[in-house]
Amino acid sequence: DSPIQYERVGADVTMKCGSMDWDAAVTWTVNGTDIHESLLNGSYLILKNANLSQSGQYACYEGSSWHLKYQTYLRVGMPPKEPVLMCRSNNYPKGFYCSWHLPTPTYIPNTFNISVIHGTKDMVCERDAIPKNRCHIRYLQLFSTVKYKVTLTVTNALGRNSTTLTFDEFAIVKPDPPESVVAKPVPNNPRRLEVSWQNPSSWPDPESFPLKFFLRYRPLILDQWQHVELSDGTSHTITDAYAGKEYIIQVAAKDNDIGTWSDWSVAVHATPWTEEPKHLTTEAQIT
Amino acid sequence: MAAADSPSAALRRRDLCSRGIRLAGKMRVDVIDLLDAYVERQGLDVSSLDSSVAAVEGVPLAAVERWDEQTGTQRLLENLAAYRAFRALLAQMLEEQREQLGEADAGLGRALASVLLQVSAFAYHLEELLRLESRGVPGEEEEEEGEEEEDRPPPPPRLSIFEQKLRGLGVLRELAQWAVRSARDLRQLSKPSPATGTASGLAESP
Repeated sequence: DSPIQYERVGADVTMKCGSMDWDAAVTWTVNGTDIHESLLNGSYLILKNANLSQSGQYACYEGSSWHLKYQTYLRVGMPPKEPVLMCRSNNYPKGFYCSWHLPTPTYIPNTFNISVIHGTKDMVCERDAIPKNRCHIRYLQLFSTVKYKVTLTVTNALGRNSTTLTFDEFAIVKPDPPESVVAKPVPNNPRRLEVSWQNPSSWPDPESFPLKFFLRYRPLILDQWQHVELSDGTSHTITDAYAGKEYIIQVAAKDNDIGTWSDWSVAVHATPWTEEPKHLTTEAQIT
Repeated sequence: MAAADSPSAALRRRDLCSRGIRLAGKMRVDVIDLLDAYVERQGLDVSSLDSSVAAVEGVPLAAVERWDEQTGTQRLLENLAAYRAFRALLAQMLEEQREQLGEADAGLGRALASVLLQVSAFAYHLEELLRLESRGVPGEEEEEEGEEEEDRPPPPPRLSIFEQKLRGLGVLRELAQWAVRSARDLRQLSKPSPATGTASGLAESP
């Protein structure tokens, strides 16, 4: 296996043919294809202003014998920019997770290192297998006013960068959206829609840590949402729907006391009950 | 434990718990408003103070490990000890605030007094819950663990005005955390126990 050589995009790269003298006759190849001698300075290969497409397997052969004198795998890439880090507790009070990504790709392998400090205590954030840019941590204490400090460092062969988040236990609590949202018309009620949903399955103990909900709905033909906040229960009857109009309905959740609202649930559609026109029914009965 | 398990006791417990939860909720909202006013009126720059405010002496910390494993009695006793301490701390803050700001900030004084009242009411609520469980309500003297007069530590030196303000900030921050914890504790207490049909945690022996 040939060694890997990492160079920055835009750098000027000089490759020497092993221990061969500058004036030795050599042939360079990239990915098995000969490189034109115009790119050579003596036996050195010069790549000015390296670009990503120049990544590949480079090899140098002695002129007459075709002995392989040098080989390297060139990877052109970039040092990492400041990573984007996010931490959230969607399973309070069990713990929280942090996930991250780079704002722009580096095109070369990166390693990520995360540290979590609570006051003076170091905590271990266990890496998830999938997705691999995520780790989770169990709360050892609850109701603490001491902040958590999470530092993520990203390193590659061309440099390193890091970012730090500081937050308190309550601030990052954000449940997943409610699940199984269902909206149904109410028979013989042209202005009602019955909506029901379930607590997100990731929320471990809704009895001790109840969620409150925010419902929004509008007819498809209008842009303005109606909102209802519900402090308990997982159902609600809309009583002011426009007769015969199809509605779009979504629900969000929040811990009763702390944290922020979840994202909106998947939208459901429903149309209130309408009375069948009598003459059509009669015709159907005849045929 | 027959008295604790009777249907009327269970109803009374549930009633006390749900009222307590509402009290804790209101208390939290008021404490957070008071915290904002306190920071502003006392001229405190919170961002530079974070590390200094941690673990101010004498302020009961809401932070707890293995919270989910606590028994009902433990929850009640820890809450009661905390709110009794807050009652004394808030009374002291009220006194200090009057000395420092006098009549210049009657609004802050009124807000402090209102929170003090709610804290006292909550402490009484907790005592009622403990009595319901036929648990002796610890007297406040007992909480000093029977120290002899001669063995008591000397009274702490009087704090500087800045130190008083810092402690006040610590008191209000921890109280806001306690208000959340207490609501959670009471919800745990009011959960029916699957085996006995009584509130979980309270049917257990000490």
